[in-house]
Amino acid sequence: MTIININIPVRIIDSIKDYAKIIQDVVKMNISFDILKFSTTPKGITLIIDVPSEKVSQINEAFKKEGIIVERKSTVCVDNELCIDCGACISLCPTGALHLKNNDELEFTKEKCIGCLICLDSCPRSAIKET
Amino acid sequence: MTKTYEEINKKIENGEAVVVTAEEMINIVEQKGIKVAAEEIDVVTTGTFGAMCSSGAFLNFGDSDPPIKFEHLWLNGVHAYHGNAAVDCYIGVTRMNDKSPFEYGGGHVIEDLVSEKPIHLRGTSYTTDCYPKEEVDTYITLDDLNQAILCNPRNAYQRYNCAVNSSNRTLYTYMGKLLPNFGNATFSGAGCLNPLCNDPDYETIGIGTRIFLGGGIGYVIGEGTQHNPTKRLGSLFVKGNLKQMSANYLKGVNFEKYGTSIYIGLGIPIPILNENMARKTSIKDEDIKTEIVDYGIPRRKKPVLKEVNYKELKSGTIEIKGKKVKVSSLSSLFMARKIANELKIWIEKGKFFLNPPAERLPRETVFKPMKEVKTQKFVKDIKKQAIICHLNDSINNVARKIIEENENHVAIIDDDGILKGIVTSFDITRAIAENKKVLSEIITKKVITTTDDEPIDIAARKMRVNNINGLPVIDKYMRVIGLITSEELLLK
Ligand code: SF4
Ligand code: SF4
Repeated sequence: MTIININIPVRIIDSIKDYAKIIQDVVKMNISFDILKFSTTPKGITLIIDVPSEKVSQINEAFKKEGIIVERKSTVCVDNELCIDCGACISLCPTGALHLKNNDELEFTKEKCIGCLICLDSCPRSAIKET
Repeated sequence: MTKTYEEINKKIENGEAVVVTAEEMINIVEQKGIKVAAEEIDVVTTGTFGAMCSSGAFLNFGDSDPPIKFEHLWLNGVHAYHGNAAVDCYIGVTRMNDKSPFEYGGGHVIEDLVSEKPIHLRGTSYTTDCYPKEEVDTYITLDDLNQAILCNPRNAYQRYNCAVNSSNRTLYTYMGKLLPNFGNATFSGAGCLNPLCNDPDYETIGIGTRIFLGGGIGYVIGEGTQHNPTKRLGSLFVKGNLKQMSANYLKGVNFEKYGTSIYIGLGIPIPILNENMARKTSIKDEDIKTEIVDYGIPRRKKPVLKEVNYKELKSGTIEIKGKKVKVSSLSSLFMARKIANELKIWIEKGKFFLNPPAERLPRETVFKPMKEVKTQKFVKDIKKQAIICHLNDSINNVARKIIEENENHVAIIDDDGILKGIVTSFDITRAIAENKKVLSEIITKKVITTTDDEPIDIAARKMRVNNINGLPVIDKYMRVIGLITSEELLLK
């Protein structure tokens, strides 16, 4: 599975009906996917979805035709040299990929990271980087 | 049973002192009781490692030839304070680099100095008969300085707030990134390892107390600024020689959209002089309480949601309004423990001795808010009447109102008077250009609003961050009761 980030700008969605239509269009393509995160911002709706890797290009095409911005999602990595185990990033991470070990040292479990990038600007040591 | 400082120091000298960390002391007292613990344990070590925004360093460069009297000076592009003698300066940790603010600041300069990195020193002068040199542009290292004194007027807070955000947007604060609608919570402080929590009546920690500071030796030189003992929010004024310190315990930091600071490691040994001190140093996380405070309200008096203790905070989740919220610390517990252990080893090895304070810290003072001569103005003091149109009005109607009333912003309401959107003259122009006919097609539905009792500075910041010129004033039912625009703010 591949995690992608899609952004539906405000100008496309006037009401929830428009949003439903977009989802229906995708469903018609017979692709099932998991929505990992759904958030609304003043700029529009952001979805982080997990799609079957072989369908990524098909889904990208479909979204782009609608004017939706699609980004392939990366993950992050933590530079241990810079990290001071403060914990500032932990409460932000929705999946527990960033967490404390028993001795209260920071541990990053890459497999759990969905690339939502919420943590990216929270680190006071700039130790978290997009990969 | 009582012990004296001399007796404890004698034991340290002979390598016989029994030293434990404040975390270890909890178990010892639980298992052996206070009486035995007081007899067996000589010293309890504490530690903390967190943001210390009040910090800075006094540096002396020595004279140039011909001599210069700095008027302005920068270290790696960070403006230092130079209102003292010719070649002295104070570099504050929250001062940011002129060219890359929010990335590099005074805290990073101090970390780089201690890491023995060369620091770019640039300074200018208006020149005098005794100091004729106009400009200096050179590189210095810590070794080249005569003195480098780390100085923290407010350090080692006894405890701190736990921060949450009730507002509907992400906030970037000195308490870190706070997600909207109570999306997360942050706290600061090491709980049972915190120095002042283990000596809450300042019986052994006072002026002159020798401490672990930034990996070297430092001293408490007084109570910290904002020291607030009656609320159990004591703080310490400390200093230490930067030349002995280690970059492992001094870390420059940058909080997104807030600014730069420094994390400093500080540890204080507490002599177990009697059973009283044995009892106090066995304090547990659950006995240390603090408050969950809503940073969504940017006022001095932020609403307190509830009380919480450090055991709950360290557990990783707290409950707010029936919802489980992830909580994490901003200060490092791992480092705090490491510092308490390091100090323990120093004492065990006979490298660090304890001393009684020359004077005790104040126990009665209170912390006052700023005296402001101008009274704070609120939105209701400067708002004007809003121009209002109905959702069903035609675009023409709205356009006419804009011209008649000479007002750029029109609030759009429904039958119940509830705010549904806003239209500006720009929206009307665009509607004409794009040949739009229906009002609902052109209104901005997500409106940033204000209320009567919001201070005008907060309303002004809302306009600035959102890049807009007007805010409808609404009551608690979302009914429009006025308008303020940048014009009113200019005339205030
Ligand atoms: S990108 Fe998201 S999931 Fe990955 S570590 Fe950061 S907060 Fe956690
Ligand atoms: S916020 Fe940065 S420094 Fe702090 S624990 Fe996370 S990665 Fe480490």
